[in-house]
Amino acid sequence: MATTLFIQRGDIAAWLADTAATHTVYAPLRDKTGVHFHRLCAQDAAAQTQALELDRQAQTPPKNVLLPACETLLEFSYAKQEDGSTSLDVQPVMPQGAVLLFGPRPCDARAFTVFDRVYDAGRGKDPYYTARRAATVVASVVCTRPEQSCFCTAVGGAPDDTEGSDILFTPVQDGFIVRPLTQAGEAVLRHPLFTEAAHREEEAADVCAAARAAVPCAPADFTAAPEPVAALFDDMEFWQSVTAKCLSCGACTYLCPTCYCFNITDESNGLEGRRLRTWDNCMSFQFTLEGSGHNPRPTKAHRYRNRIGHKFSYYPRIHDGALSCVGCGRCISSCPVTMDIRRIVHSAMQRAQCATPEQAHE
Amino acid sequence: MPQLESLKDAIAKALPELDVVIAWGRGLDALGATPLFITKPEDLDDMILGPSCVHNLATYLPGLRDRKVGIVVKGCDSRSVIELLQEGLADRDNLTVFGFACSGVVNVPRLRGAADRHPVQSMEHDSGQVRLQTDTGPVALPEAEALAAKCLTCTEPEALICDHFAGPHGTAERAAASGNPQGTLERLEAMDFESRFRFWEQEMSRCLRCYACRSACPLCVCQDHCAAQSRNPHWVTQEDTPREKLMFQAIHALHLAGRCTECGECERACPMDIPVLALKQALNREIHRLFDYRAGTDPQATPPLFHFKETEENIKERDW
Amino acid sequence: MPVLEGKELRIIGFLCNWCSYGGADTAGVGRFAQPTDLRIVRLPCTGRINPLFIVRALLNGTDGVLVSGCHPRDCHYTAGNFYARRRMEVLKALLPVLGIDPLRFEYTWVSASEGNRWQTVVREFTAQIHGLGPAPAFAQEASEQAQAVLKAVI
Repeated sequence: MATTLFIQRGDIAAWLADTAATHTVYAPLRDKTGVHFHRLCAQDAAAQTQALELDRQAQTPPKNVLLPACETLLEFSYAKQEDGSTSLDVQPVMPQGAVLLFGPRPCDARAFTVFDRVYDAGRGKDPYYTARRAATVVASVVCTRPEQSCFCTAVGGAPDDTEGSDILFTPVQDGFIVRPLTQAGEAVLRHPLFTEAAHREEEAADVCAAARAAVPCAPADFTAAPEPVAALFDDMEFWQSVTAKCLSCGACTYLCPTCYCFNITDESNGLEGRRLRTWDNCMSFQFTLEGSGHNPRPTKAHRYRNRIGHKFSYYPRIHDGALSCVGCGRCISSCPVTMDIRRIVHSAMQRAQCATPEQAHE
Repeated sequence: MPQLESLKDAIAKALPELDVVIAWGRGLDALGATPLFITKPEDLDDMILGPSCVHNLATYLPGLRDRKVGIVVKGCDSRSVIELLQEGLADRDNLTVFGFACSGVVNVPRLRGAADRHPVQSMEHDSGQVRLQTDTGPVALPEAEALAAKCLTCTEPEALICDHFAGPHGTAERAAASGNPQGTLERLEAMDFESRFRFWEQEMSRCLRCYACRSACPLCVCQDHCAAQSRNPHWVTQEDTPREKLMFQAIHALHLAGRCTECGECERACPMDIPVLALKQALNREIHRLFDYRAGTDPQATPPLFHFKETEENIKERDW
Repeated sequence: MPVLEGKELRIIGFLCNWCSYGGADTAGVGRFAQPTDLRIVRLPCTGRINPLFIVRALLNGTDGVLVSGCHPRDCHYTAGNFYARRRMEVLKALLPVLGIDPLRFEYTWVSASEGNRWQTVVREFTAQIHGLGPAPAFAQEASEQAQAVLKAVI
């Protein structure tokens, strides 16, 4: 792999602006309500990057870049033919163009590997997702300032994790030490503002070690959660007690970097229409509402059980133990009633353990 | 804190007759509280009371309709309780309401920003200031910036409906009721129509359509069968455009017309900080002007859009 | 209609079947000339009108909306227009906050014999809408510049 590079903090904006000529560039900017990923306009890049914010977690993950909140899968139109028959013309709408996603935290990048196992594996490769994934370079920034709600280290991640990224930027006092991880990453780093910096690798390692130590200590190692969570499936008393304050609102789902459920709808106007894929939300009553009117998850307790079950039990059991949660903590900080997934999973693990007579005495 | 002790006593006495009492407990830190569901006397130890208690607990009442429920309410929350009673969505016989003199609650996202997202060890509100103690030192903000917008125009700090009141009446530290010139509605009124339209277009482009605004609302009891998600009639499409999202906000505001008590939970719950309360406030002001009516103040009152008068005193129709 | 494109604005009229639709018919029978911008949607009663019809129409790009029903106390269903009056007045307060000029929406009462009045209402309202011009369009359907500005925000 290519050597470690360095770029001055003040030069990042210029590099992004130049890259915007050939790529669609997304970067975290501080706007009036906080830090969010924005698309840089080639003309306005200089002005926009004044608001670049790399020292705080973005409030919304960059999930949109690979899995848009709403995407058109295909367009269709009907036409009456002269012989009286009706023809149907269907045109798929494929993603176009190279993308540079700059500034996600390693947790956000790791979330993309959660999607990869589902959308880019085995028989069922999703052509829209795979096209975007192949065209996107992910340049993550090591997290030196975790939030109170962060717990990446408890779910197998780390503030300097490289999974899912093409490049890793480690912040140091005068800039960033830059480590390309893939060929695609190397390609966007071919720019005069990057200088060789193999001699600074140790400095980067120190920053990463400090970052790991700074992550708040979660109450447990959640990689062991799959069995206990599965064991509590029928324990509705547990799920009802932990979800008493939940509003079933869905903010957690939409702000979660690993949530990937979707809905497909046809929207048409007369003879023309589009087939849309939009984010869906398992916290909503309608998520499992069947045509007959029956709903297998009628209460928020059932739905939340599914949320925890999916992230901490069903997904890891199918995918060799990889959890479908990266510990970014946005579900905790954006929840209007501060549902704390760490406490709930920890309680589940404790409760399941106490269910066995041998462990009740420990 | 004498108010809290008095409240705990009242709840402890009532608890044996109740299935649950809903109050507030500590969340992540001193700035963030969380709803607390008290079922056993030991749970009372987790109770807190203060400027971090932003949640309108009345939102849980429709779901707990058949149980004997106790609820702690600020003045604004009590209006939601009354509105639920007006609409027959809660039973007075199954409710035990605990009130206290509220001195206002804080705008949590703003204070999180002021504290640069450091954990907050303590928070105090007095003498026109809110003071935080964080890992990296103290932070102080004047009331006008620190309190939730609704507190700056509050006229009812004490519950309008109450079974047990903790602490002496009239002791709420009231923010100077100077109005809120930075309120969204006030800012919109200073703009021309085109600018207002672009304002909402920009705000709605940030909307995620998570419907947290709907779920947090105590009066949105039909959220599981919402008109906004109906395919027949097809009010709103799945297209992710400001037009569709603004249509949902219009549906929400109109379905709440004459019912909304401006508790502000919709705006507080929004993960993108979109000022959605403004639309409901505008309708409430008009309803007050037209029908001399405020939602959630009289349990016997009928909301104005549920009935009519043959002669409407305040409706001046245009001539052609 | 293509032949009138550029000269006509899109105005929708929600008319109750009994009084107002009858009044419009009377105007037609009497050959009272009116501008052709206004297109009628017939309903049983103004009380059936969900204020969201008007909002949906305006957000979809309609330039003006008119509601017309029986005079209060003359509603074919007794009380429908009383409810409508309250709802329409409340709706009038929502439009300006959204950034839609409230002059783009009017409600009125026209009885079945008032052909003249119907003509007056249609002429005046159409002129009012022409005075305001086309309704503001969302940027996604508008200029490229506006689109670019909007695209800079996810």
